[in-house]
Amino acid sequence: MADSEKKKSIDKASLEMLEKACGDNVSLAFDRAAVMKPCPIGEVGNCCIMCSMGPCRVPLPKGRKETPEDKRKRRGVCGATAETIAARNFVRKIAAGTAAHSDHGRAVSELFLATAKGQAPGYEIRDEQKLMQVALDFGVEIGERTIEEIAVDVGNKAMAEFGRQEGELLFLKKAPLKRQEIWRKEGVAPRGIDREVVEAMHRTSAGVDQEYHNLMRQGVRASLADGWGGSMIATELQDILFGTPTPVLGQINLGVLKDNEVNIVIHGHEPLLSEMLAAAAQDKDIIKLAKEKGASGINLAGMCCTANEILMRHGIPLAGNFMQQELALVTGAVDAMVVDVQCIMESLPDIAQCYHTKLITTSAKAMMPGAMHIEFDEHKAMESAKEVLRVAIDNFPRRGTNVAIPKQKTDLIAGFSHETVNYLLGGLFRSSYRPLNDNIINGRIRGVAGVVGCNNARVGHNEAHIAMVKELIKNDVLVLQTGCSAMASAMAGLMVPEAAAKYAGAGLASVCEAVGIPPVLHMGSCVDNSRILIAATAMVKDGGLGDDISDLPVAGAGPEWMSEKAIAIGQYFVASGVYTVFGVTWPTTGSQELTDLLFKEFEDIYGAMWDFEPDAVKAANLMIAHIDKKRKALGIDKARDRVLYDMEMRRELEAV
Amino acid sequence: MEYKNEKKEAPGRGKVEVLGATYEEGKPCGEETGRWRQKLRNRREQLQYLAEGERYWYGKDWFGSEKRRNPA
Repeated sequence: MADSEKKKSIDKASLEMLEKACGDNVSLAFDRAAVMKPCPIGEVGNCCIMCSMGPCRVPLPKGRKETPEDKRKRRGVCGATAETIAARNFVRKIAAGTAAHSDHGRAVSELFLATAKGQAPGYEIRDEQKLMQVALDFGVEIGERTIEEIAVDVGNKAMAEFGRQEGELLFLKKAPLKRQEIWRKEGVAPRGIDREVVEAMHRTSAGVDQEYHNLMRQGVRASLADGWGGSMIATELQDILFGTPTPVLGQINLGVLKDNEVNIVIHGHEPLLSEMLAAAAQDKDIIKLAKEKGASGINLAGMCCTANEILMRHGIPLAGNFMQQELALVTGAVDAMVVDVQCIMESLPDIAQCYHTKLITTSAKAMMPGAMHIEFDEHKAMESAKEVLRVAIDNFPRRGTNVAIPKQKTDLIAGFSHETVNYLLGGLFRSSYRPLNDNIINGRIRGVAGVVGCNNARVGHNEAHIAMVKELIKNDVLVLQTGCSAMASAMAGLMVPEAAAKYAGAGLASVCEAVGIPPVLHMGSCVDNSRILIAATAMVKDGGLGDDISDLPVAGAGPEWMSEKAIAIGQYFVASGVYTVFGVTWPTTGSQELTDLLFKEFEDIYGAMWDFEPDAVKAANLMIAHIDKKRKALGIDKARDRVLYDMEMRRELEAV
Repeated sequence: MEYKNEKKEAPGRGKVEVLGATYEEGKPCGEETGRWRQKLRNRREQLQYLAEGERYWYGKDWFGSEKRRNPA
C-alpha cells in the first residue's frame, strides 16, 4: 500500500477495506476528498449566500497584509462586511447544529409522551429513578402519583420547552449559580429552544443583524438552547425510556461483523428504532426465519451515534465511526444498513449497489434516492422493526463471494453516565465527586478534558483523536468522550481499565486503578455531551475547585470536527465556561475581528474561549497549558504542607 | 470459588507454593452486570438517593462550593 493510502487512516481494518474498495473500483469519501479541495473562500467564512444579489466573496488579499483600503472594499453587494458575513455563517452553523440535536430531543419527547399515555406499545419507563429526578427538575408533583401520571406531566413539560416563548429553559437551573448569573447578565439565557433557532435564522438573513458582537450573542443563546435544552432533554428522556447507562462491556471495529450471521448495521442518531430492533432481534420467529435462510443468527452492529446509544445500554457491538460507514459496506458482509438521521453519507446507495446490501431509510425527515424506505412508526414500533429485520434476513442468501471481514475488533467499557461516575466514586450510600476533586487538588489528576466530535475526510481517520487523547492521559488528564471521538479511542484500546497502566501518567493511572475505571471514559452519543456539562457542574458544586465551570482545570476539544453540530457543541462548551480547541480548519479566519472575539474577548465575557490548532499534540498541549493556568488560579499548582491550627491561630481566624 | 496454588520464588528458599489469586476476573458479562440502579427498590429509596447521592441539585442542606452564595 502506498504511503498516501496509509495516511488515510490509522486503523488497520479501515486500511484493509480501503484497499479492497480500490480493487472493487468503489469510490469513497477518502478518494473524493483527495480530488476535491475545499473552497478556500467558503472555508474561512468569506462567502455570503444569503440573497440572490450574490453569492458575494470577500477574501483577504493574497500574500500580503490587509490595508485599510482593502478592508473598505471587502464588502458584499449589500455592503455587508467580512465580519458580518463570517458571523452570519458561523451563527447559522450553530443554529443548524442546535436544530439537529433539538429535533432529536423533540422526537424522543414525542415518543416519551406517547409511551406515558400507553400509545406506544413495546416501550416502557425503564428508569423510574431518573423519572423522579427529571420530575424534580421540571417541578412536577411526585407524591403518591403513578409513574404514568408523572411521566405524562414530564413529557408535556419537555415538549413545552421547544415552543417556550419567554422566561428561561428549565434545565438552566442545573448549571452553577455563577454561570446562570453570567448568562443573565449577558442576555444569552435561552427562552425556548425553537425560538432561539428561529431568531438566529432571522437575524442572519439578508439585511437584519449587522453587528458581529450582537450576532454572536444570539449564536451563544442558540447554542445554550442545544446543550442545556434540546440535547439535555434527549439524554434525560432517553435515560428514562431506555435506562441510564451503567458500565457495559462491548466490542468495536469492522471485525464485529460475522461470516455466518445476518449482519444488520444500524446507522444514525436516534435510538428509538434501534432499541426496538435490539428487542425484535431476540424474537424466536425472527431467529427461526434467519436459520431457515441459512444463517446461524442475527448480528446487530451500530455505526456512529446510534451505535453509542445501543452500546451504552445493551452492549451491542460497534462496527465503526463516521468514516467507516462506507467501509462497512465494502466488506460485502452487511445484509442491511438501516439509517435514520444525521451523518449519513449520500454515497451509501451507490456503494450498496456494488455489493448486495439493502439500504433502508426509516425517517420521514431523511430519505435517499436508491434506498428502500420503511417508515418507523412509534405506534407500531415492533412491527416496523420486524419488517426491517425480515428484509435483511431475506437478503442474506444473496450475499456474494466478494466478502472480506477484517479481523480487528477491540474490547471497550462504556456506560459512564454522570450518575454512574457519581456512584463509582462513592458507592450507593456516599456517591460523590469528592474523590475526583480531591485527586485533582492533590495533583494525581491534573485536570479533565472533554474530547468529542466527528471524523473528517480532510485528515487521517482517527489520527488526531488518538494523538490528542494519548498526550492528555500521558499528562494525567482524565478524558471524557462522546460520539465518533469516543469510538476512535475505543478502537485504539484506550477504553479498558488496563489502558491506564499502559498509557496514562502515574498519577492518573493510580486513581484509575483504585476506582477500576479506564483513563478515557465513554459518556455516550453527541447529544450526551450534556452529560459532560452535568459532570462539570457536579465538580463545581462538590467544592474546592472554584464556584463556576470556568474556574475548573478542564478543557474541551473537537480535533476532527466536520459537522455543524460540532460547532454548536463547541459554542455551548465555551459559553458554559470550557476552553475549547478545534482542529482541521476554522470557519471564521476570514475575519480577524470575529476570530478575536471568539478566541480572546470571549474569555472576558464567558470565562472561556475558542482556539484552533490542527496539530493534535500541540492542541493537547494548549489544553494542558490552560488546565495549568486554572490550577494556578485555584492555588493548587504546588503542594502545600498541611497546617495544624492551634487555638491562637483559630482565634485569629475567627477575628477575621 | 476454586482455590488455586501457585509456585513462586522466595528469597533463599527457592520455589514455594502459595495461594494464588482469589478474585474473579474483572470482565463484566451479561446485560445485568453493573446495573446498580436496580438496587433502588422503591420510590422512597429513589427520592432519598436523589437527596443524598445527587445532593448537588436535590439536597436541601448541602450546597458545596455555592453555600456562601445567594440563589441566582
